[in-house]
Amino acid sequence: MERQSFAKRFIFPALIVLIVAAGAWIGYHLAWRLDNRSLHDTLAQVFGILLFASVAFGPLVVYPIAYRRGASGIERVLACLVTPFAWATKDFFRMLAAFTVGESLYFYLNPLNIWLILLLTAEMAFLELVMRRGRVRRGEDVRAFSVPVFLVGVLAIGLVFALYAWGRGENVFSYYLVVYRMIFGAGAGL
Amino acid sequence: MSENNNNNPFHTDITRRDMLKVMGATAAAGLTGLSIPGTSNAAPPGQPNIIFILSDNVRYDCMGVTGHPFIQTPALDRLAGEGLLFENAFNTTSLCSPSRASFLTGAYARSHGVLNNSTPWTESMPFFLENLSESGYDTAFIGKFHLPGEGLPELPYLNEYVSFTIKEHQGQYFNCPLVVNGKEEPSNTPYLITELTDRALSYLDRDRDDPFCLYLSYKTAHFPFLPPKDLAGMYADEIPPIPGEVDPWLGKADGNVFEGTMVGSIENLYRRYCEAIAGMDREIDRVLAYLDEAGLADNTIVIYASDNGYMWGEHRLIGINWHYEESIKLQFIVRCPWLVPDAGGTRSQMVLNVDLAPTLLDLAGVNIPDHVQGTSFLPILSGADAPGRDAWFYEYYKYFPEDVPNIIGVRTKTHKYVEFEGRRKPELYDLVSDPKENNNLYNTSEGEALTGELVDLMHSLMAELDA
Repeated sequence: MERQSFAKRFIFPALIVLIVAAGAWIGYHLAWRLDNRSLHDTLAQVFGILLFASVAFGPLVVYPIAYRRGASGIERVLACLVTPFAWATKDFFRMLAAFTVGESLYFYLNPLNIWLILLLTAEMAFLELVMRRGRVRRGEDVRAFSVPVFLVGVLAIGLVFALYAWGRGENVFSYYLVVYRMIFGAGAGL
Repeated sequence: MSENNNNNPFHTDITRRDMLKVMGATAAAGLTGLSIPGTSNAAPPGQPNIIFILSDNVRYDCMGVTGHPFIQTPALDRLAGEGLLFENAFNTTSLCSPSRASFLTGAYARSHGVLNNSTPWTESMPFFLENLSESGYDTAFIGKFHLPGEGLPELPYLNEYVSFTIKEHQGQYFNCPLVVNGKEEPSNTPYLITELTDRALSYLDRDRDDPFCLYLSYKTAHFPFLPPKDLAGMYADEIPPIPGEVDPWLGKADGNVFEGTMVGSIENLYRRYCEAIAGMDREIDRVLAYLDEAGLADNTIVIYASDNGYMWGEHRLIGINWHYEESIKLQFIVRCPWLVPDAGGTRSQMVLNVDLAPTLLDLAGVNIPDHVQGTSFLPILSGADAPGRDAWFYEYYKYFPEDVPNIIGVRTKTHKYVEFEGRRKPELYDLVSDPKENNNLYNTSEGEALTGELVDLMHSLMAELDA
């Protein structure tokens, strides 16, 4: 496939989803201020779905576009992570209101972000296999199925379910707090 | 006794010394077998039995007796009908471990040292159970302890000590491994709340010559608020009284992400929360039934309270941690047949979690230690017109990963003022005209007239605690 410019193969696909996510975030946080309850509910639902889909399923848009425009593997992965990283960074700044820079950085590693990374990994693995199959159908000389890619996808999606099934997520959260205390202590801030 | 000027929300002439004088007289009446006029029972001879039941994150309004639209709590309703419902009971720090330590010690978080759910309990002061034990009580702690630290502290004065350490001392609703008198044991019953009640009844059923004090601490209704299996779905068709600012994605937004609302709808989670409370109520009914059958109801004070409230979308927030009424207001019911002349009534005086310890010690005729910062509410049990506090200090210490900064504040009968560490501006609410705290009066003309005095009052109360 022709390798297009960096702007076309990386920035453009990443920005599509990022702009949708940002707009949905703003729309969601404004919707509840409407006096009309029905309108509030409808808009909140629409923007909520758009926001969730952008953050959690953005690769479904970003990855194929980047792939077809000749982005390398690393570039495809990083482009898919732009919106989730922005989402996590939004939380970093939210945590800064009460916690130190170090603690707020540690928030990047919270279990919900870990689940998100695992989900995104599974999506990218699946999309890699789909895009390869498409290239094979177009007559390109490329292996459609990659065992490592497949295993990464299966492992990632398996961990998403397994870690939640393990105590409805409470166990993972508990360990996250144990490590927090090892690094920062009780964090009461006195 | 100093006169109370009800028109001035900042009047605090009622001193702790005044309260001690009144409660001493009340306790003396109880211990000498005199009954309070109008009560149905004579005071028990000697020291009365004590049962304190503590629930977890149960909102003030989630009881039948408080007018909830569908929740059924016949045991709590019965307790209120035979005792008193306190309409203004609060925690002094809206977080599990600090609030629980305040119940046990009678002191504020800044004094007992458990500032949040991570600050270890360092045994800086005794629990009231120890004081009771020293005065001859047979004491038991059964249930959720949840004071941070490695394992459970040794409490050698307890005659029965059943708790759990799994999941940061939170336990789990089903098949929760227990620590029974220092030894790990599997639970006998799948549902934790039933298991704890079984063990509580077993403890109560022992032959003994001494009065007993049972501290029964349920996990209900902490996340994941799981009801017993036979009650799951009992409220599936009910419409939860969720506030208007809630939308389907609120539980997954911003600071709500770690409140257990990432999966499922808020409405369904609220229903499950209510089902869990109904399950706990059924267990409380077993305790009350046992007291009836054993002939102990007339000489046992039963106090029921929650450690926190819970926000289900008010101010776009889920959970506890914040200073709003839904988070700090507690369920609080007292049944004491020999002291309460108007069973089935209510009390509007403000009581706090730090008041439990001095009240029980007062009831037992035990000297109240110097570290106790609460006030006995025995006089309030005996009379609806008994004086109560005009104001109290509130504090909160940040707890990762909740994005709530350190807070100090003051609540009077009519107003609440809080300050935050960091950039968030203070909040001031007129709780009479704005009970939902939607209208922040800080920096308004109305607020400016009040802010100065409230700030002074807040610092005055804080200084008293630190003295």
